Amino acid sequence: MKKLLIYGYCCLLFFFSFFSYLFIDPGLLYLRNFYTGFFSENRLVVIILYTLFICLFFLTYYLFIKLVRSEKLPLKQIFLLIVANVSILLFSYPAILSFDIFNYIATAKVAFFYHENPYIVMPYEFIGDPLLLFMHAANKVALYAPFWTLLSAIPHLLGFNNFLITLFNLKFFISLFYVAGAFLVWKISKNIYSVVLFALNPLIVIETLVSSHNDIVMMFFALCAFFFAFKKKFILALLFLFFSIFIKYATIVLLPIFIYMLIKYKSGEKIDQQNIFLIAAFLMFIVFLFSFLREEIYPWYAIWFLTFISFLPKKKNLVVLSTALSFGLLLRYVPFMFLGTYFGLTPLIKVCVTVIPVFIVLAWSLISKYAKKYN
Amino acid sequence: MGIPFKKFKMRRYFFVFFVIFFLTSTKITFAQSSYVLPYPSAMPGSISYKSHILSEELQKYWYFGNFGQFYYNLKQSDKYLVEAKTLFEYKQYLLGYNALLKSNEYFIKINPFLIKAKIEGKDISEKSKILDMASQKHVEILVQIEKNTPIEFVWTPEKSSATKLLLRKSIDDSISVRQKNI
Repeated sequence: MKKLLIYGYCCLLFFFSFFSYLFIDPGLLYLRNFYTGFFSENRLVVIILYTLFICLFFLTYYLFIKLVRSEKLPLKQIFLLIVANVSILLFSYPAILSFDIFNYIATAKVAFFYHENPYIVMPYEFIGDPLLLFMHAANKVALYAPFWTLLSAIPHLLGFNNFLITLFNLKFFISLFYVAGAFLVWKISKNIYSVVLFALNPLIVIETLVSSHNDIVMMFFALCAFFFAFKKKFILALLFLFFSIFIKYATIVLLPIFIYMLIKYKSGEKIDQQNIFLIAAFLMFIVFLFSFLREEIYPWYAIWFLTFISFLPKKKNLVVLSTALSFGLLLRYVPFMFLGTYFGLTPLIKVCVTVIPVFIVLAWSLISKYAKKYN
Repeated sequence: MGIPFKKFKMRRYFFVFFVIFFLTSTKITFAQSSYVLPYPSAMPGSISYKSHILSEELQKYWYFGNFGQFYYNLKQSDKYLVEAKTLFEYKQYLLGYNALLKSNEYFIKINPFLIKAKIEGKDISEKSKILDMASQKHVEILVQIEKNTPIEFVWTPEKSSATKLLLRKSIDDSISVRQKNI
């Protein structure tokens, strides 16, 4: 049964990778041979398939959690699942749900190919660049903090000016932070359940390994900061926290936690890791909720608080609610996939599909609580 | 049958009114550029002026790259031109004169960066258009300044020798520097 589940999960990853190629942009001349136009011509089929994939991802996630709780899934097999995630999804098409990966490539190109400041010069100023044919934010200066721009030099330079090599380099580069993040979760928590909650959460898997969002990089450095803080190496902890902040700024809200831990350490008091992660998850959730002030709540921003919730497996309600929210957030893509517009009914449906799973879970827990009480 | 005298008088009045209306409602203008100059920032003597100078120095390194330097020099040239205009309006001729020289200094640097960008293979057509519009706007402003500025001015500061400022010549030089780019 367990073997079947693992093989089934690998097949799911494989089919999802295959499915991602239905979303190729017609302007993406480098993958023109793979363009089918299926997505734009069969929107209903696409959303049915996508929803089915998401449901299957969450079903397997639930089954893996059950296996871990019954101690039937050892660390070695979890490691194999992580390797399967990376090696299969590495070859998926990254711009199925978001075009951010093209922005990363464009920013790196402006900085390290054109030798211009990407915070001043926009990609569209390089008239004739092939990236302009398919990227969606050519009229914006770099959106991310400077340390990310600096890091993006690595996949860019190793891409030797070839778009496809750079694209898959970047995917691989971000995958490394996912693996390293899972390793740190294990190192800090020494809990297999935490590793599964982090590394097999479908939202983290899809947004990191398919869409290749740099949020995982920011969270990796934040985890490094916590790792060193728990080892009472506060200089290193602050250094890594600054690295994290200068990826995407959001982790700046964690700074008071480190100050609090430093004060506790100086006064010789013990630091309660569970409380620290609970506060961290809460603070990151607040930033997540307020991200609509900047643009809108994007599903991949959930990585910020999901990373810390994975350290709190004993908080069952929190885990269930965050999983329901992860499910709802991944469904936020459906209205656009079907209607093909960000306007009209799309924003309303997006809100509905995000909150409905959370409300269902809340209602279910209330009903079961009262049922227990009256029984 | 001739036109009745009263009717003829009415037509004449109407014609005169029309001519006067036409002449007063139209006004002679210079060729105007849609390029927008910034608002005046801190002026010499104010507390924040030194911090502006420092930020200007630091920005020089932040605006790296040939396009970056194009933007930087244009931005500074615009800023100092507006500063010069404001100072001339307040008859602060020495400060205005210095600001104009600084604006020219930055303006002269713009085109070489565009040439360098072109050598690097970058398309500079849009930037050239921006520079052309900026040059026209600068000339427009300089012509305005020139109208209300004396040909020369002797600046006599307290406890030091007087300086003769060739204001008109300086403005003419500034115009010719910019006209090279139009």
